[in-house]
Formats: sequence, structure tokens, C-alpha cells
Amino acid sequence: MSSPRNDAPDDVDLGRVWISVAAQVWRREPGWLERTAGRLLRSPGLARALLTTPSLLLPWLLTSIAVLAAGAAATTDSGQPLVALLAPAVAAAAIAYAYGPGMDPAWELSCSMAVSDRMVLLVRALAVFAVNAVLGLVAAAVSASGAAAAVTFGWLIPMTAVCAFALAVATVARSANAGAAAGVAAWLIIVLSGRVASGHFAAAVTDTVLFLPYLAIGAVCAAVALYATRIPRGTL
Amino acid sequence: MINVEITDLTRRFGRNQAVAGVSLQAGPGVFGLLGPNGAGKTTLLRMMATVIPPTTGHLRLLGRDPGACGPRREVRRRLGYLPQNLGYYPGFTVAEFVEYFALLKEMPAARVPAAVATAVERVDLGGKARTKLRTLSGGMLRRVGIAQAIVNEPELLLLDEPTAGLDPEQRVHFRALLRELGQRATVVVSTHLVEDVGAACSQVALMDQGKVVFDGTPGELTARGTEHGTGDAPLERGYTAVLAAARA
Repeated sequence: MSSPRNDAPDDVDLGRVWISVAAQVWRREPGWLERTAGRLLRSPGLARALLTTPSLLLPWLLTSIAVLAAGAAATTDSGQPLVALLAPAVAAAAIAYAYGPGMDPAWELSCSMAVSDRMVLLVRALAVFAVNAVLGLVAAAVSASGAAAAVTFGWLIPMTAVCAFALAVATVARSANAGAAAGVAAWLIIVLSGRVASGHFAAAVTDTVLFLPYLAIGAVCAAVALYATRIPRGTL
Repeated sequence: MINVEITDLTRRFGRNQAVAGVSLQAGPGVFGLLGPNGAGKTTLLRMMATVIPPTTGHLRLLGRDPGACGPRREVRRRLGYLPQNLGYYPGFTVAEFVEYFALLKEMPAARVPAAVATAVERVDLGGKARTKLRTLSGGMLRRVGIAQAIVNEPELLLLDEPTAGLDPEQRVHFRALLRELGQRATVVVSTHLVEDVGAACSQVALMDQGKVVFDGTPGELTARGTEHGTGDAPLERGYTAVLAAARA
């Protein structure tokens, strides 16, 4: 029996035929969620980053723990709006560290890509909050205590909305910085308007006893974020 | 056509000056960047890959200034980069990893499957395309890195120690691939393996202590070692002679 290669007509480029066969065999068919995200974000690459976020297991676990801890603090009724205002900074620092150069093995490669690394971090933040919000809803439905519901409805769902808003602004403005600024502004409005509505705004802001610890937390978050997004020196 | 124009480029890390006033030009072909450990090759390559900005000096890549956001994005679409330490996602397959970075390079989605298949075949990993990265050897992972770098058929390809971990047969195969890629693109290869430069490069620069101490052809570098160099191969003698002269 002769091989297929020997039977092929002279004008057939078997290399090209094999490549088209391999392309079909190895092709990964994106699901409906990835296709929809790709259209909304105008970038199949960002959609892929969004969907692969939970599969990077260690960063996922670390960010989930940090996000839930920040949420627990934010939803505790301390009478201080600064707790709620600083909680996203803690979560952002954790996400920047875990999915940035701190732990992402391919971070340096990501920094040379056309899709900016900060946009990738924004979609990862959305994925972290959105998936945890879904898990929180399930926990709230099956749990008798109100803690899960408080964290889910007072923190995870609003932060998912804020991240989605930030990503939408970043996509339209083509700037991750613009998106992050919009997200911060949105969260400020949510927290402060809630305080004004409940009549606690003035009392909470004028109580300066806890300003120093809050400022310390803010400084630590800024340091972590700076460390996480630093330029790694590596080998000369 | 000049794809890389570097003028008086410097990069500092705190008190340490990693790159000290480098000027280079490169057109299509394979450009070798030689030098001892700590010479500044990797830092120079990372600036060319737009991973880190220069401290001072001018850099033009593919006719654009990568310091500005829009041109940088355009350069990155047409760039391929293999870092010295390639990180990988262990749960991804070879094809998924290459596809992921093809998408982040903003290749048209319809072109990606064929581009991935071509890149994976070019590095001889067709039989491992659906294998998880965690199960591959170091040499295979290096080839995966090369595949992601060439998946978008880059006009500027930057490779940092690409043959590290490859066996002799794969190195020969890779040098042939380099020569093929260099026919239409600018390929910059940072290496400390002199034989790679001799076999594949049409132009070579030798760096030491952050500066370029030689810029010419491999033949010209070889000629520098005819009297004073030490080493087993002619190119090695040229390399050591130029380094000795630069440090004298």
C-alpha cells in the first residue's frame, strides 16, 4: 500500500493541507459567554482573559479570600464610611498582586501585548467579583444567617456592577486608567449617597478617631499596588 | 528599511546603570546580541519589547515611537517576544497557550486557528498541541515560547536566549528557522552562545557593562581575534579579544 503522500497530485501543497486540518482539529470553540464578552469588550483576547481568570487557581483563591475579607469589613456597620471606601483598595491591591507580576508567571510576556496588561487586570477584577457574587447568591439562598446575604448584596454585587461600569468606560475610552477612575468615582458616589440617605454622613466624617488607622490601611494598599505593578528588574 | 533605531539609550535601576548609551540600527535579517552575563542584553531587549521604558534616549521600532500609547499598541501587534524566563500557565495546552497570546496580540479571530497550527508545527510540537504545559520538558516549553512569539508572523522578533534548553538537533532546526524568519523580518537574538551567532546571524553587536563594544558582521568579529583572542573557535577568539580590548 502506498502512502497518501505518494498518491497526492503534484499541485497539492500537503503542508498547507495539514495546517488547515490541524487548525480545525486543535481549534477551541469559544462558548456563548466568551463570544458575547468578546463582542461587548471589542476584544476576543480580553474575553479569553475574563473566562480564564478562575482557572489560574492560586491567584483565584488568594483574591477570593481578600475580596471576601474586605467585603466582610465593608458591610460591618462601623458608622465610618471610610471602611467601605477603603475596602475596594484592599481588593484591588490583592488582585493587582495575584494577577500581576507578583504571581502571574507570564506577566512579562503580557506586558508586550497589544491588549494592555491593565485592561487584562480590569477584566480579571470583574471576573473575581462576578463569580464570587454568584457563589454569594447561592450561599445566601441556602444559609440561614444574614451574613452571606449582607456581603453579597452590600459588597459583591455592587462591586461587580462598579467593575463592569469601569470596564465599559475603559472599553469606550480605550484607556484602562479612565476606566479605573470611573470605577472609583462610582464607588464613592454609592457609599457616600448611602450615608447621606441614612443621615450618617456628617457624623461619620467628623469622627476623626479612626482616621489614622484608615490612612495606614490606605498607605499599605498603595504600597502593595505599587509593588505589584512594579517593573521587575530580572536579569540584566 | 530600518526596523530598529536606537539612539543613546540608557536604563537605570536605582543606582545601577544596566544600559549606558547604546546606539544601534537593524533592518531585516538576524541580528545577534552577544555579551557576558550582566552586560545589559536582556534589559536592552526588554526596552525593545516595550516591556520597560528607557530612562533616556530615543527608540524607534518599525518606524514608530513606542513611547506614545497608539504607536506602542501598533508596534506590539507586529512584535514577537520571547523573554528569558518564560512563564506559562500549567493548566493550558500548547495550542491554548499560543492561541491566548495570539488573541492578546489582537490578531483577527478568524485567522487565529491557522496561525496557531502553523506556529506549533514550525517548532515541531504538532504531536503535543493538545498536551498540558505542566507535562512538557524544559526544551519543549522553550519551543512553546518560540511558537507564541512567531504566531503573528512578526516584523520584529525579539528572542532572549532562545536556544537555552534545546537539544543539539533542535538547535540546528531552530537556527534554520531563524534564517528563514530573518528573510523578511528583523530578528534580534540575545545569546551568550557564540556558535548560534556564527550559524544564523548576519549582523552582531557585542555588549559589555551596558555598552556596545562591537557592532559589525560575524566575519568582522572573527577577524578581531586572529592575533589576541582566546577560545576554541575563531568567533570565540574574536569575542574574547574585543572584550579584553574594551576592558583594558
